[in-house]
Amino acid sequence: MRESHIQKRSLLVLLMMTLLVLPWGMPTAKAETFDRNHYIYDYAHLLTDGESVELQHVASERGKERETAFIIITLDDTNGKDIVQYVEDFYDEHGPGFNQPHGNTVILAIDMNERDVYLAGFKKAEQYLDNSRLDLIREELTPDLSDGQYYDAFSVFINRAYEYMGNEPDNGELGYTGNGSIGSPQENISYDIKGHPSKNIFFQSWFQLIVSLIMAGVVVMIMAYRAGGRVTVNARTYMDSQRSKVVDQYDNFVRQTVTKQKKPSNNTNSGGGGGVTRGGHSHSGSRGKF
Amino acid sequence: MILHYKCPSCGSDMSFDAESGDLSCQSCGRHENIENYPEELVTTRFSADEASEYHCENCGAILITTAETAATSCSYCGAAVVIADRLSGQLAPAKVIPFTISKEEAMAAFQKWCRKGLLTPKDFMTADRIKSITGIYVPFWLFDLNSKVQVNAECTRVRTYTQGDYIYTETKYYDAFRDINLDYLKIPVDASVKMNDELMDKLEPYPYDLLKDFKTPYLAGYMAEKYNFTDEELFPRAKEKISGYIDSYISSTFSGYHSTRIKNKHIDTRNVKSNYVLLPVWMVSYDYKNLDYTFAMNGQTGKVVGKPPISTGKVTAWFSGIAVGTFFALKIVSFVMGGELW
Repeated sequence: MRESHIQKRSLLVLLMMTLLVLPWGMPTAKAETFDRNHYIYDYAHLLTDGESVELQHVASERGKERETAFIIITLDDTNGKDIVQYVEDFYDEHGPGFNQPHGNTVILAIDMNERDVYLAGFKKAEQYLDNSRLDLIREELTPDLSDGQYYDAFSVFINRAYEYMGNEPDNGELGYTGNGSIGSPQENISYDIKGHPSKNIFFQSWFQLIVSLIMAGVVVMIMAYRAGGRVTVNARTYMDSQRSKVVDQYDNFVRQTVTKQKKPSNNTNSGGGGGVTRGGHSHSGSRGKF
Repeated sequence: MILHYKCPSCGSDMSFDAESGDLSCQSCGRHENIENYPEELVTTRFSADEASEYHCENCGAILITTAETAATSCSYCGAAVVIADRLSGQLAPAKVIPFTISKEEAMAAFQKWCRKGLLTPKDFMTADRIKSITGIYVPFWLFDLNSKVQVNAECTRVRTYTQGDYIYTETKYYDAFRDINLDYLKIPVDASVKMNDELMDKLEPYPYDLLKDFKTPYLAGYMAEKYNFTDEELFPRAKEKISGYIDSYISSTFSGYHSTRIKNKHIDTRNVKSNYVLLPVWMVSYDYKNLDYTFAMNGQTGKVVGKPPISTGKVTAWFSGIAVGTFFALKIVSFVMGGELW
């Protein structure tokens, strides 16, 4: 982990240097022409016009309340790009957000070719919709996606994201700073490190205390129980092993059932999920297949 | 009829000696081999109510006994006496395991056992308040049981394999049947109403290779009782003792399966043979803080059973020690793991 951390940083420095050299004009120009009030990008034509309008309406209503852009992107293919890269580039290039470019945004992207699904949270949504919350949302909507119930899946996405955005995140102490460009990558990394142990119940002192007390109680109980002497005979003590045996037996095959289950994708729940875009915007994320 | 053993050389009282396994005379040291001792008791018949009062052969005093007492000492002169009509005919034991642990050894072994108790109060450990220590031949029935078992079960075997993007779980169902013959030999069940069953069960096992043909001189100097329950009355308890063994044997015959659901089970247990035997037990009565504690010791193996008092102080010490230790261990583990995660 430490090595990859260093690697990430050096890569980042390299990226930033490249970015400084690159002409900045084009992406910003694009961001300006981008319609920030448009939330549904159904490039794969999975939705009917009516559904699309309905989702657009719900997304804008919910979005207003949470000051966040709920964006849905469907793709036939990503032109060879990884879906994570695609989403990051989408954010960098178009700069979506509720009322400002590169603002609070949560994106659901699905790629029909690779059958990839990816959720990413930026800015406030990165804090409120951390990796684990995005994992929960993704797990909930994946069955619908697999069944081809795209409208249902997208509704689940907007509703759940809306609900989670209304609840304080688990790690309140790591507040969101609002500075999304240069400073955030490091913040993102320290978030991961500090955030992990406190999430796991095993690392909680109260849990450890309870375990210790239960352990001590059980051991003392066993000691008290054994103080009176134990039964030291077992099933073999009195058995006549020469004459005790199975006299007759049969095992008839009756029937068989087979159930199948989708193989869990390797890169799901791998802890990460989030990352930093080339434009320096850190985000949370959850990735899977459907 | 009262049996009393007089030394042929000096005329003093003889009693059983646990160390040599002979009848011995305390005055002149003469040893008398028991196995060659003439025994005509088993064939002698007494009517059940022949005598309600027994007189000591040695001094003539009345022997104070309960209805079950088969061997005791005269409370007046101390001579070892055996009440023969309570050990004859129907009541004659087939076998006996003689004591090999003498009274002094039993005392020492008990004191050693007391010191080992982790939760025993400190002043109990000294074991200096032993009220009495009595060697008793406890009546037992040894059951030879034969069980015929028929079991029908639905069993499953589960296999998982991966093909393409899917994990397949294949469950095969089998209709399985087992016809099992089980023989259990010499299951001991105590036949005395005075003895605590739980305590007696914990005293097992007894070394059956030391079973000797019953001779009355083995009882000289000890207490002995005749049985209160017949083998027929105790048969249900013998069956109960082996029911767990039978169940574990049945499940061992289905070991190749992932799950076994017993559909029907038929167990028919018969009493092949039951022998009346006397097994040696030292009973220790201990007075601690005005409460009586009873312990039993296997007179052959020296195993001690019985609930000693529990010290609150020691329980607290162990409890807090383990709790604090575990807590710190967990802290260290989580610290190390946290470090690794980083």
